This record gives sequence, C-alpha cells and structure tokens, in this order.
Amino acid sequence: MKDIREDIAWAKINQDVLKSLENPRKLYWVILFVAIAMLGVALGCEVYQYNVGMGVSNMDNPHMWGLYIASFIFWIGMSHSGTLLSAILHLMHADWRKPIYRFAEAMTTFSLMTAGLFVAVHLGRVWQIYYALPYPNERGAWPNFQSPLLWDAMAIFTYLSSSIIFLYVGMIPDLAICRDRMHEGWRKKLYTLLSLGWEGTDRQWRNFRVTYLTVACFLIPLAVSVHSIVASDFGMSQQPGWHITSFPPYFVAGALYSGCAAIITLFIILRYVFRFEEYMTLPILKKIVRLTFAIAMVWTYLNAVEFASVWYSHDQASKDVLIQKASGTYAPFWWGMIFCGSVVPLTLAFKRIQTNIPVLFAVSLLLNLGMWLERWMIVAPTFSHGIYPWTWDHDQWPSFVQWGMVFGSFGWFTLLFMVFCKVFPSVSMYEVKEMVYHRSQESKRLEETGKFAAAGKGAH
Amino acid sequence: MSISNLLENWSKFRHTHPVDDKPHDPYKWAMSIDLDACSGCNACSVACYAENNLPVVGKEKYAHGQVMHWMRIEHYWDEDVGEEGGREFPDQGAQFLPMMCQQCEAAPCETVCPVGATNHTEDGLNSQIYNRCIGSRYCSANCPYKVRYFNWFNYPTTDNVWPAEMVQQLNPDVTVRGKGVMEKCTFCVQRLRAAEVTAKSEGRLVHDGEVQTACQQACPTSAISFGNLVDQESRVHRQWRAQQVELDKDKQAKDDHEEPSELRGYRILENMRPYPSVMYLERVRESAI
Amino acid sequence: MMDSGFDRRDFLKVMGWSGAAVALSGCGNTSIEDGKETLVSYVEAVDYQIPGVGVYYNSSCAQCDAGCSINGKVREGRVLKLEGNPASAINRGKMCGLGQAGVQHHYNPDRLREPLLRNGGSGETITWEKAYALISEKLKGVSGEEIAFLSGVVSGHLKVLLGNYLSSLGSKNHFVYEALAPGVVRAANKKAYGVEMPRYNISKAKVVLSFGADFLGAWVSPVHFSQQYAQFRKGVDGQRGVLIQVEPKMTLTGANADRWVPIRPGTEGILALGIINALGIATGDIAAAVKGYDKARVSKETGVPPGHIDKIAAILKLRSPSLVLAGGAAEGYAHGSQNAAAINLLNHVLGNVGKTVEASAAVPFPQMAPAKGNTAALKSLNDGLAEGKYKVLFNYAANPVFTAPGAMKFKDNMAKAGFKVAFAHYMDETALQADLVLPLESALEDWGTQVPEYMAEGAQINILQPLMENVHPNTRSIGDILLALLKQSRAEEYKNYEDFYAYLRSALVQNKAALGGHAMDEDAFWNETLTKGIIKLVGTTAALSGKAGISGLKLPAPAEIDEQYPLQLIPSVNISLRDGRHTNQPWLQESPDPLTTIVWDSWMEIHPKKAAELGIVEGDIVEITSRIGSIKTQAYLFPGIHPDAISVPIGQGHEAMGRYAKGYGVNPLKIMDAVFDRETGELAMHETRVKVSKTGQRVIVVKDESAAGAKQIREKIAGRVYTDNVDLTKEV
Ligand SMILES: Nc1nc2c(c(=O)[nH]1)N[C@H]1C(S)=C(S)[C@@H](COP(=O)(O)OP(=O)(O)OC[C@H]3O[C@@H](n4cnc5c(=O)[nH]c(N)nc54)[C@H](O)[C@@H]3O)O[C@H]1N2
Ligand SMILES: Nc1nc2c(c(=O)[nH]1)N[C@H]1C(S)=C(S)[C@@H](COP(=O)(O)OP(=O)(O)OC[C@H]3O[C@@H](n4cnc5c(=O)[nH]c(N)nc54)[C@H](O)[C@@H]3O)O[C@H]1N2
Ligand code: SF4
Ligand code: SF4
Ligand code: SF4
Ligand code: SF4
Ligand code: SF4
Repeated sequence: MKDIREDIAWAKINQDVLKSLENPRKLYWVILFVAIAMLGVALGCEVYQYNVGMGVSNMDNPHMWGLYIASFIFWIGMSHSGTLLSAILHLMHADWRKPIYRFAEAMTTFSLMTAGLFVAVHLGRVWQIYYALPYPNERGAWPNFQSPLLWDAMAIFTYLSSSIIFLYVGMIPDLAICRDRMHEGWRKKLYTLLSLGWEGTDRQWRNFRVTYLTVACFLIPLAVSVHSIVASDFGMSQQPGWHITSFPPYFVAGALYSGCAAIITLFIILRYVFRFEEYMTLPILKKIVRLTFAIAMVWTYLNAVEFASVWYSHDQASKDVLIQKASGTYAPFWWGMIFCGSVVPLTLAFKRIQTNIPVLFAVSLLLNLGMWLERWMIVAPTFSHGIYPWTWDHDQWPSFVQWGMVFGSFGWFTLLFMVFCKVFPSVSMYEVKEMVYHRSQESKRLEETGKFAAAGKGAH
Repeated sequence: MSISNLLENWSKFRHTHPVDDKPHDPYKWAMSIDLDACSGCNACSVACYAENNLPVVGKEKYAHGQVMHWMRIEHYWDEDVGEEGGREFPDQGAQFLPMMCQQCEAAPCETVCPVGATNHTEDGLNSQIYNRCIGSRYCSANCPYKVRYFNWFNYPTTDNVWPAEMVQQLNPDVTVRGKGVMEKCTFCVQRLRAAEVTAKSEGRLVHDGEVQTACQQACPTSAISFGNLVDQESRVHRQWRAQQVELDKDKQAKDDHEEPSELRGYRILENMRPYPSVMYLERVRESAI
Repeated sequence: MMDSGFDRRDFLKVMGWSGAAVALSGCGNTSIEDGKETLVSYVEAVDYQIPGVGVYYNSSCAQCDAGCSINGKVREGRVLKLEGNPASAINRGKMCGLGQAGVQHHYNPDRLREPLLRNGGSGETITWEKAYALISEKLKGVSGEEIAFLSGVVSGHLKVLLGNYLSSLGSKNHFVYEALAPGVVRAANKKAYGVEMPRYNISKAKVVLSFGADFLGAWVSPVHFSQQYAQFRKGVDGQRGVLIQVEPKMTLTGANADRWVPIRPGTEGILALGIINALGIATGDIAAAVKGYDKARVSKETGVPPGHIDKIAAILKLRSPSLVLAGGAAEGYAHGSQNAAAINLLNHVLGNVGKTVEASAAVPFPQMAPAKGNTAALKSLNDGLAEGKYKVLFNYAANPVFTAPGAMKFKDNMAKAGFKVAFAHYMDETALQADLVLPLESALEDWGTQVPEYMAEGAQINILQPLMENVHPNTRSIGDILLALLKQSRAEEYKNYEDFYAYLRSALVQNKAALGGHAMDEDAFWNETLTKGIIKLVGTTAALSGKAGISGLKLPAPAEIDEQYPLQLIPSVNISLRDGRHTNQPWLQESPDPLTTIVWDSWMEIHPKKAAELGIVEGDIVEITSRIGSIKTQAYLFPGIHPDAISVPIGQGHEAMGRYAKGYGVNPLKIMDAVFDRETGELAMHETRVKVSKTGQRVIVVKDESAAGAKQIREKIAGRVYTDNVDLTKEV
C-alpha cells in the first residue's frame, strides 16, 4: 500500500488543508468549551493554593513533591514527539513524517508550555520564580549552578524557545500560502506579518532549507539533554529509587515513548476531524505504530535494567523502594504502569492491529496512561519510603487541588492545540506536495525500470 | 560586575566541605548527643518552639504530616517486639533519638537548591535564607534525614497559630516565616551570631560554654553538648576526639578494626557522606540484667 | 541576668505598679493615635529596657509543684522565653516542656479578663468592687463551718494569707486537692522513713528499682530527677547506674530502663516481698514474713518470670547502694498503702535508708511549708457538699469538676453549695459551675513565694515576681484578692499593706536576718532577693525516723479476673499534660507523647496480643465501659502494657478551657470507680475495671511516628550497646 497517493493535485492539497482553518463546526466549540472549563478547574485550584498555601495540595513532610512534578515530567516527555518526528526523522530523510510533523511540533511547544506551568504551580513562592534564572543583578546574587533544577530551568527555557523557532521556521512557506489565499481581515494581516515576505524564490528556499536543517540539528541534542536533565533532578540526588545511573536514557526513552503514543492519538483525532485521510494515511500510521512498538521495547528493557541493577546492588534502601513499589500502597499504580507500558504495546506487534484505528486509539491512550503512571511512580514512592525510617509509610494522598491541576492541564493543552489548528495549517502543505512529487517521480522511475525489465524479459 | 562577582566568589560560595586544605577557622559549630542520657522528654523540642518561633499547626495539619518541629524526638523499638514469634514486651525500653538538621558539612540539601537559598556558612552551618527560597522543596527531597520543614501555609495569618496575645511571645531575633519557604534547625544561629559578634568586639573568640543552643539549654539530662569543634579545649571537641569521630570521614578509622570498638560515638548515615556535624553516643544497656 | 545595683522600685513603677505606661511595643498593640499611650520613646528610654537586648529576670515556675526556678527573658517589656535558673539546686538551669509552656499560659488568648457574675449559661461582666461586695454580702450570716475553700497546693506567703483569711471567716475547711499527688506514697514514706518526702539520691545509687515511679516523666520533681538520672547513668566509681522499672504500663521512665518488667497490675507489693525473699539477707520477723513469697508463687501471682526475680535480686545484692522507689503505679489500689510499704521495706532491707534515701531539708518556717493534699481531701469536701453542708465554696488552682472521679458526681454536689466563687485563669469546667468567677493574673505577672515540697540540696524559698505588666489589665493577683477580702473583716490589721506586694515585701524584709540578709539594709536585701529569685536556707533536717516494720503488712492475693469487666483501666499521666490544667497550651498539645507520639488527642493503649483477641487494630474507635460509664477513643496497639490492662492518658477531654483544649480527646477520670486506699482514703487510681468493645468506626491516629517509623531497619539510626562491649571510663 502506498503511504500517499501520487496524483493528488497541489491545488487540492492547499484547499484541503486550508479548509481546516475555516469556520469551525459546532463540535469544535463544544470541545473548546470543555477545554476551557477544564482549564478553569485548574485555575480555580491554583488561585486557592496560591492564597491558602501549598498545604492544600496535601503534600507534607516527607512527601515534598507530588503530582505536579510527575505531570511536569510527563509533559516534558510528551514534548519529545515533535522533535522526534520533525528533527530526527527529518535528518533521517524519513519523508513519511511530512504530513504529520507539523502538529507534532505544535504538541512539543504546547506540552513544554504545560510542563512549565507545573513548575510554577509546584513552587511555594511562585512569585519569586525568576530567582531561578541567571540574570545579572545589583545584589550579585546568582542561582546555584550546581543544582540540576537550575539546569532544568535553563534547558526547558532553551528547548521551549528553540521549539517555537523550529515550529515557526518550518511554517513560513505555508504561512505564505495562507497569506495569498486569504481575504482581507486579521488573518491576512497576521499571515502577512508572519510569512516574512516569503515569495518562494530559489534563494529563499536555499536559505530556508539551511536554517531549517540547522535548527533541527540544534534541537535534537536539546531534546535529549532536556529529558536527561530532568532525569538528573532525580539521578543526581542521593535518594533511593532516584539515584540511578540509567535514568537519563530511561527518561529519554520514556519521553519518546509517550511522544509516539501521543502522536498516534492526535493522528487519529485529526485524521477524523479534518478528514485528512488522504494525507494521514494508514501506511504512515503503521510506521508510527512500529516505531512506538520499538521504543516501548527499549523502555521495557531499560526498566528491566533498572530493576536488575537495583536488585543486584548492595543498596538496600533502593531495594526497599522497589519492593515497596511492587507491594506497598502504590502497587496498583506501579503494576498499572508495567501493564500499560510493557504489556499493552505487545498488541502493536500484530499487523491487523497496526492499522485498526479504534484499537490503536485505545491502545495509544493506555500507553500514555502508563507513561503518566510511570512518572508518578518515579516521584512518589521514594518519598514514602526513603532512607530514613522515621518518616516511612506515612499515608498521604494528593488532594483534589493536585488532581484538579493535572486534569486542567489537559484542558490547557487542548485549548492551545485547538486554537493552533484553527489559526495555523496543521499539515505542512509544501512538504506534502514535495512528498506527492517524490512519489510521482518514484512511480515514473518504477514504470520506466518496469518497462526495461519487461523488455529484458522479452529479450530472453 | 555581578559576573566577575560570581567568578570571584564562586569558590568561596562553594568551598568544598570538609577540607584539609581549608580547615574551619576560627569556628566550626558542632554537637554531640548522648542517647544514654536522653530520656525522650521533649523539653528540647519545646525549647526550640519557644526560641525559633515555630508554629503550632494543630491536629488537622499534624495529621497531614505538616508539623513544623525542627527538633523531633524519635523512638525506636526493638524489631522483634510484638512481632510473630518475637518478644512480647519491649523489656529493654525504647531508644530515643532527638533528630534535627545535622548541619552536614557536605550537605545534600545545599547542592540541589536551585537558588542557593540553603548554603554553607564559614562557621560550618547549613544556613537557610528564607528571603531567597522559592519553595521548590528539592532540598528536602534530598535531605537524608528528612529534617527540613516547609511552610505549607501562611502560619502567621492562620487561625489560632499566633492569636494577637501570643504574637507577643515571638522572639524578635528570629524571623516569622511566611508561606512557601523551607525551614529547619539553624543551631540557633541568632545566638551564635550574637556570641560571635560580642566576642569579636571584645577582641577574643567565643569560649566554650558561652553560647548554648536552646535545646541544649533546656535539656534536663544535659544530653546535648554544643560548641566549637575547632577549639581543642571545647567539650564537643574533646568528646569527638575521645570517641574518635572525625568530621571529614565517611567511615571512621575505629570502624575498620577487627575488634568492635568500645567507643559509642557515631554519626547517622555517615556512609552517605553528608559529613554531619552531630555526633550521637549510643544508648547503653546493662548486660547483667 | 540582672545587673546589680539598680533600683527595683523604679522598675516596678515601670512595670505598671504606679500606673505608668509600659512598653508593649510592636506587634498587636494600640498606637498613639488611639489615644492610648502605650508607646515609649527610645530617646527617653526607661531603665532596664535596652531596645533589642533581652533582659533576664528570675522567678519561679508555677506549671507544676516541683518548684523549678526560672530565668525569664524579657525584651521591650514582653516576656519571651522561660529558661531555667542555674542557681536553683532543683533544676540547675534546666526546664521541662511543661515549664517552658508557661509563656503560653501567660499569653493564652482564652484567659479570663474581667470578673464575671454567672447566671446559668451566661455571664455578666462586673467590676471588682461589685465582686468583693457580693462576696461580703454572701458571707453575711454564714458560719465558718458552712464555708469551704478548695485549692491546689499552696505554700509560702499565699498559704499564710489564705490561712488568715479562713480564720477571719472562722472556717477550718481548707481542702487541698491535687489530683495526681502521691498521697499514698507520702503516707507510706511517713511510716517507713519518718518523713513524707525524703530525698532520693538517684545519682548516688548504683541500681534504681522503681515500682512505677515515673521520675523522668511526671513524678514529684522530674527536672531534678532527670539531672540526677544523667549523673546516675555516668555512674558512681565508673560503674554505670542500672535502672529497673516495674509497672504494668510503660512510662517514660520505663522506656529508659535497662530492664522494664511488666507486672500484673496491683501485685507490685508481692514482687517486692518476693525480691526480699530472694535476696535472703533479711532477718527476724521480716525474713519470716516473706518466707512464703517464694519465687514460684511470686512469679505466678505477678506474672514476672522467675529468672527476672533472680536477676533483680542478684544485681541488688551485688551493687550497693541501690534505691527502691514506690510510685504512682504501685499506690493506685485499695491496698496501695500495703504495696508502698512492701516496696519501702526493700530500701530498709537493702540498707539504702540513710544512703540513697535521706532526710530532706525543710524550710524553717513551717507556716510556709506547702499545704498538700490528694483525693481524700476532695472526697471529704465532696461528702460535705453532698450533704449540703456548705453555703459558700471558694475554688482556687483546682479543677475538680474535670479531675474528680466520675463516681463522685462532684459537679452535681457542687451545685448544692449556695454561692460558688472561682478564682481562675480560664473558664474551666469548675469555673463554669461557679456563680462568681474572678480572673487571676498569670504566674508571670504575679508576686509570691513558693516552698517546694521536694527539696534538693538544702532548703529554698522560691520567689515569684512579675516579668512584665499584666497582659489583661483587669486581672488580679490571688494575693491581692485575698488581701482585699481579708480587709473586709480585718481592715485595721492589714491597713499597712496596700497590696500583696507590700505584704510580701514587708514579710520577707522583716525576716531578713533569718533569710540570710542580716548585714544588708532593707532595700539591698529586697533587691538581692528579687535578683536571685531564690532564698537559699540551711534548713532544718530531721533525721529519718521510720522503721523497717513488717507488722500489719498484709498483701491481698491478686484480684480475680472479673468476667464482666475483664480489663484494668490505667489512667496514665502524660508528661506534658499531667492533670489537664495546662492542656490549653498549644506547645503541649503538639508535643508528642514520648511513647506513642500521639498529639492533640486521647488514645487507649492496648497490648497487641489482647488487641488481636478482641479484633482491634490501630485507629479503631473503641468504647471503654466501666461500672460508672463509658468513653470512646481511638485504639493504639502498644506492646509496653500488660495484656490485662489498658491505659488512657489523663489531661484531655476538656469540655471547656478554650480553643486549644475544648473538644480534644476524652477524660478517663469520668469513668473511674470510687475505690479508695484502705489506709489513707486516697482514690485508688488503678482500681477501675473496664470492658472494651469496638464501635466499628476507625480513624487514622494522628502521631509523629509513621506506620513503619518506629522500627529502624538495617541502618543504624539510634544505636545501642551493652555495658560488656563499651568502655565508659574514657568518655569526656
Ligand atoms: N546615627 C545615626 N543616625 C541616623 C541613622 C543612622 O543609621 N545612624 N539613620 C537615619 C535614617 S535612615 C532615618 S530614617 C532616621 C530616622 O529618625 P527618626 O524618624 O527620628 O526615627 P525613630 O527614632 O525611629 O522614630 C521617631 C519617633 O517616632 C515614634 N513613633 C513610632 N511609631 C509612631 C506612630 O505610630 N505615631 C507617632 N506619632 N509616632 C510614632 C517613636 O516612638 C519615636 O519616638 O534616622 C537617621 N539618623
Ligand atoms: N531595628 C530597626 N530596623 C530598621 C530601622 C530601625 O530603626 N530599627 N530603620 C529602618 C530604616 S528607616 C532604614 S533606612 C533601614 C536601613 O537599613 P540598612 O540599609 O540595612 O542600614 P545600615 O545598617 O545602616 O547599613 C547597611 C550596611 O551598609 C554598610 N555601608 C556603610 N557605608 C557603605 C558604603 O559606602 N558602601 C557599601 N557597599 N556599604 C556601606 C554598613 O556597614 C552596613 O553594613 O533600616 C530599617 N530597619
Ligand atoms: S541534615 Fe538535611 S537539611 Fe540538614 S544539612 Fe544535612 S541535608 Fe541539609
Ligand atoms: S525549597 Fe527553598 S531552600 Fe529548598 S531547594 Fe527550594 S529554593 Fe532552595
Ligand atoms: S539547635 Fe536551636 S534550632 Fe536547632 S533544634 Fe536546637 S533549639 Fe532548635
Ligand atoms: S530534652 Fe534532653 S532528654 Fe529530653 S528529649 Fe531532648 S535531648 Fe532528650
Ligand atoms: S518540673 Fe514543674 S516546676 Fe519544673 S519546669 Fe517543669 S513544670 Fe516547671
């Protein structure tokens, strides 16, 4: 099966994609309203927490971190989807990425923005958050360059700004198309401004390619580093269950994993909502699914490595944490994580499932649930069963404020995403055209070689 | 300006601890606690509340694990008591342990603080700058002893924490912390500073016994000794020396001998290398009874 | 410490005695704009007030009757912190948690501020003049027999003044009631040693065998004993002291023992005689009397394994001198006196009397010695009230409505008194039943002298002096009140004393020769007395006179298990809450019980074995029922208790007394049977039998230790060594 038809007319591509920018259907508004309502829940929780104090989250000593940090890691992980599809696959010349990378990049940006908010709501004094940034000041006070949390702040900041640039740069030719196809109005003005006078000249294309490639190259190490640094928040500590050398690759694998799973989810949604069947085709989906399966196995392997190295180490405290994860208060969640993260993806090995949209949709959601649980299971058990026995196993459960914030974060993410879909083309028109062009060239070549082959046969 | 400031002061800010090449001078505050004397009476803990303006959080918050006692009295029972097949009664009593910030020389809490709100002083304290703290709670996450307490609420304005009358009891030498900052035992730094400044203005060093921490002062069994480890004559120094406990070791020489040591000085979680400044003396039990 | 050579009168002026404005600067007070000139310019600074510098004044702790001396830190006119006065032989600069919480008594937001005329549920604020007039009116035509004055321990000049007041009324009915006083032990000591409270030289003993005397926690003079204990552990001649604690419910002292011996409740005396028998050193009629107490029988009756009896006897024989203490857990039975006598006998047999049990010094002014009392006094008052004997009842420093055993029905009987006056700091349960409630100054605002019952080295009179001006201007000193009431009938005799301060000063100054101030002029003596906060006296020491008698000592066989009420209720004494009069001090509420780490609540301790039998797990709300009534509280599984007993701490369960006390926990005294010691008539605190049933509710116990917290797993957190493996001689 072909991953895209080679005979789609370019005009049709423009038309199909631009149609997604048109007046939304009723369902759009409904979803948007739900998203805003969810965000409202989070806002309400934050206002409450800000006014009364962090204590309303039910965090305590020793459970100093909770769902905020878990969700922070989750959303950072999610952000790897875009980088993976856009930058890594771009460099690897996997052009099946083309119809889907745009929305994946948007996901990157938005999940980073969501992740950043979790840092903010986690802080006891969010109003002093800028203390964590190295800015010159008359007091000569600097942040602590030894702290992984500071690297984190800087890495996320860099990653977010680079992602925005990457998303934007990759969109310029399409913005020009929008500009040219739009009637007067705010949209026209916006696109005119953003397309930076793009005319599609050779020189512009040359510069564009170089820039895009450079940003892509820049982004990859950044993506790897950002989650490695998040891993360092834990790995560089002295706590059992955290002080694990394999954490950086484990985190990156987990990030790519959840990124892939999220791509499947959004792929299916967008394909259905915008009727992008022509572009978001099943063969492409199959490729993502296979990639997801591979990463799931890598993640499973790294998990096994962690358990094994803890088990065979002489670090009794870490062993205790592991035992506690598997048998203590958190056991249902921990086993849930194993099930969703390592067992559910096994279904993806079946060809029939690789193209079965409803099943894939469910599986992708389960995978992400598993990945969210993974983050929680990294954060929480260490607190309830650390090195110091006096504070062990004290009961603690996140309050509605924490859950509300987690819940609302999905609303916030959805809101950003839905606005994006209506303002910017969520499928890259120019790259799809390229793809269609390449496919048609390929089939031409195939036809020709086919002729030769036939001729050759005949000559026998 | 501030960059050169940073470059110049970095090594000072982050001077590694503890060091042979840069010994503490003239002060290194340290403690020793004799668990054989400690009766677990809690007087020290109350003294800390009085001296350091600790809020009483109330039952509900206590239930949530949000208590603020900088000094907590732990007790440990023998493991086999009450267990299946174990002893029926804890007939050798409990082991009480006053636990507060160990003022680690290589404090795990310090390295991880993103803003340097908790850092080391030249006289060997793990200090906490409330104004600088952003409330990330990373320090607590990395403290092996879990002795850092977070202001989950704004206690000064919380009902019944400090009603108007009780405000008058607050120690003006110590800040009343607002919500969102971390706090912990300071070794009663306000008392240390006052003593250091007095001594300096008189052109001398603080002499042994001149300054007491509030917990030490209250303790009815005098289980707590406190003083300057640099001062060879101080009680704390002599105790540490007699017990052969050295500050900058993660395993004491006496522990390497084949024969078990007859000394009872030890530091908790020493092997994790925080180089704590509190030495405990093991509780003793009579063999003949 | 206070600088010498200042004029104390100026200070007093400053502190509000002549009505001058005093600096309550800073937080929470009115500003000049209100027209209340409570601000003081530092440009014209008052003496003894250095902005930013703490000034220390000596006074005395009034949180319990141990009589520790305090050193109060005062800054800008506010008392901030109570520290120990190092000059006191009792506490040597140390303080317990309860004592330190004295500032929270002083600044307590629920203190009474105005005299209240109560009318059933409501109260009406009246002036002091009206209040005095009312008392005078109510006393008219009432004979001395019809007047009763109930108080806690009073000593020093307050006691003298109180005595004078009662005699001015023609009344002899002064009932002194301390709910937790060692009444039975006092009587037993009197018999055994000739004094009620000898000096126990813990630090000189090589072995301390304590039968339920929680001397590190709440018994007699805990701060003093804690210091002695520390010395005792360091050892005499390099030999570390050995502590053996015998009791059915582990106390703080028990938790510090080298060997904690759980014993069947009430059989302490049997064990004591068994040990005498095992020692084999007694002669004559003692030897004959204890002959029947062979190991097998004693072990069977007390539940203490024979091996333990041997070991205890062996170590007592080997290491001398030792010290045997009879404490709260041994005295709380109908045969409590017998128990205590048997235990005290051990000291005689071991030859400890005169060595570790010594005569204590007494203040040479018997009129100032503390008036003591326990539940027998309350019982006799209660009986009188029940008969309707009293028309006027005064109450000071006691809260019998809260602490009296439920079976006494004290509240109902109190209602039978015609007019009830309560001198109180808080609206406590007893004040709530009074007709007139008069608000008292806190101990940090008041003047007074204190003579501790338990003297350490030498004798001492403690001085109580104000550390700051009154937090609530309309509260008054109990001394001032008594003086004012005295003047109602004897104005002429007391006309020279404007107030209690004047009375006190002149009383002390007149006696300065006897108080060590012959050479000084009056002012110098007075100033020095206040500066020191203690008057140390040589004291009179009567030699111990008691005898090692066994005649009349008859111990009952252990009680049979009562099928209906199978468990023994031990109302335990919490180290910070004691009899509950300080429960409203939040530091104490949040000070975890050392053994369970529970805060802000009551609990029932039950042995895990018994709990398993009854299907009880931690946090189960259980109903504890006695013949008198029932209470409900949470269960805490605790191996440090005899399986035949359960224990609920005293001090919680207030129905009044303000925000920090009301509504927390339950009061086990409410279900106490009225069983009394046969000899002394004191309440037998441990004689109540109960049954326990589950209610089906369960809560999470609010405590500091977490689920797995009380066990140290692998890592050495709190280390322990045995004397065989440690060399204490090298220690600093
Ligand atoms: N040697 C020396 N001199 C200095 C300085 C220094 O560092 N060293 N610092 C200088 C500086 S920066 C300053 S700002 C000045 C300050 O100088 P001043 O303004 O003189 O400061 P204060 O003495 O603090 O306050 C003045 C008076 O205000 C009264 N007061 C307080 N609260 C109230 C109120 O609510 N209402 C009224 N009506 N009165 C009130 C106080 O009792 C006090 O008597 O001093 C300057 N002079
Ligand atoms: N308790 C109390 N607190 C107060 C006040 C009070 O009256 N009492 N007053 C308030 C008022 S009005 C004010 S203005 C503030 C003042 O508060 P601060 O500004 O903190 O006042 P100072 O302590 O006078 O000065 C700060 C430091 O500056 C140093 N210094 C002096 N000259 C120089 C210089 O040339 N260069 C540099 N780099 N440093 C120098 C001094 O040695 C000192 O350590 O305090 C406020 N806080
Ligand atoms: S004990 Fe904890 S808080 Fe104190 S210095 Fe060490 S790591 Fe930091
Ligand atoms: S809570 Fe405060 S002190 Fe602790 S790491 Fe965060 S900023 Fe630093
Ligand atoms: S040293 Fe000071 S701050 Fe630390 S526990 Fe003792 S009293 Fe509290
Ligand atoms: S005051 Fe002293 S004896 Fe009491 S718990 Fe504290 S260290 Fe132990
Ligand atoms: S033992 Fe009694 S008198 Fe002494 S400090 Fe404690 S409460 Fe005060």
